[in-house]
Amino acid sequence: MVEKEDLFKNGKRWDGRTPTDLRTPLAITAGVLKRAQGSAMIEWGKNKVLAAVYGPREVFPKHLADPAKAIINARYIMAPFSGLDDHGRSGPNRRSIEISKVAKHVFENAILVEQFPKTMIDVYMEVLQSDGGTRVSAITAASVALADAGIPMRDLPVGMSAGKVGDAMLLDLDKYEDNLGDSDIPTVILPRTGEILLSQMDGMLSKKDVNDAFDLMFENAKFVREKQLQALRDRYEKVEAQVQGENA
Amino acid sequence: MNEMIFPGDLVADHEQHIPGCYTENGKTYAATLALRQNDHVVPLKGQYVPRVGEEVVGIVTDERFSGYTLELNSPYEGDLSTRETREELKLGAVVACKILAVNEVKMATLVEPHPLPEAILVKMEAVKVPRLIGRNGSMLDVIQKHTQSQITVGKNGYVAISGGDTKLAVDVVEKIERESHVPGLTDRVTKMLEHKSGEMHG
Repeated sequence: MVEKEDLFKNGKRWDGRTPTDLRTPLAITAGVLKRAQGSAMIEWGKNKVLAAVYGPREVFPKHLADPAKAIINARYIMAPFSGLDDHGRSGPNRRSIEISKVAKHVFENAILVEQFPKTMIDVYMEVLQSDGGTRVSAITAASVALADAGIPMRDLPVGMSAGKVGDAMLLDLDKYEDNLGDSDIPTVILPRTGEILLSQMDGMLSKKDVNDAFDLMFENAKFVREKQLQALRDRYEKVEAQVQGENA
Repeated sequence: MNEMIFPGDLVADHEQHIPGCYTENGKTYAATLALRQNDHVVPLKGQYVPRVGEEVVGIVTDERFSGYTLELNSPYEGDLSTRETREELKLGAVVACKILAVNEVKMATLVEPHPLPEAILVKMEAVKVPRLIGRNGSMLDVIQKHTQSQITVGKNGYVAISGGDTKLAVDVVEKIERESHVPGLTDRVTKMLEHKSGEMHG
């Protein structure tokens, strides 16, 4: 068990990272599910999230259809075996309904919804193993799944988190830093324009702290974006390598 | 491989309306995964949206007094009036049609139906259909010649194959969908066809 005093000592975090280190591994694989139109799996530290995308398709129930744009049906949920202690009980609960709602707004603002009126796009995010920061991991994975499904988007949303433990501003909090730390601020960024699509603060941060947190997250979002692109690139390069192997 | 581009990547410094791209503040950006080939952007993924004049292959999903509803491998359905056909179509029937009109909610009005009762239906990515057809239909001609199959290609990504060596034809269509982004596709397909059809006859 980690205590609050152990979280940040002598410039090092309890797991040995510096304040600006991301957790490792940070590995994304695209196209892991054959039946889904697009899918992705992310391993970010001890987090494991599976994302699948279907659509655009006809809306059910029909009265929800919007004649001007596509509607997004986002579902974030934790598997019953995903967490430690009581974190991550099975079934939809207050927390997962809230995260599904905020994720829906992220995708609504990233997808070119006006290109597909009267349709609906399903985005499923299943947390298989959780260790803090699952909503940002889930959204990062889901944006790869959306690109894999060929759904037109303005940019790939990147999820990041930062937070304060004592006086230190730390990047990419894990479960202990999240639970025992003073505050945290999970954020979703569109790297190209620098737009913020989601930002939920838990605890208290001064104006300066919030600016510091955003600076830290924006700076490191590029690294996560590169991992997302690599996952999509790998899917096509694998075929290319295979073809070249056959012809060699 | 040509350079791969991703949603949000800059395509042009001016507004240009290209499939798989969007414009913002006078610039053009990629919206889907695509390949950049010189000045062209070729999408690797994308949904089919009905367009007037295109030939499509659909599946009958509903029968009404006045017509049939066809599924078109798209978020939007097609409508075929009973006036267009003397034959009665069954649910699940595969029909090749032409799109006469597309209304404001993108539903297609279909005409000139050709039922394909014997056909095997293969689904492929709609954006890769041009690769299956080839320049002036060259790729399709080669496949039909070697397999002796009748192949009806819908712009929507449904491919109906009847007669001849259907297994080989299905394999070739799947190969084209999988490998279209790797240069030298025509050579590989020709080689595969010559090799496999030689096996059968020789």
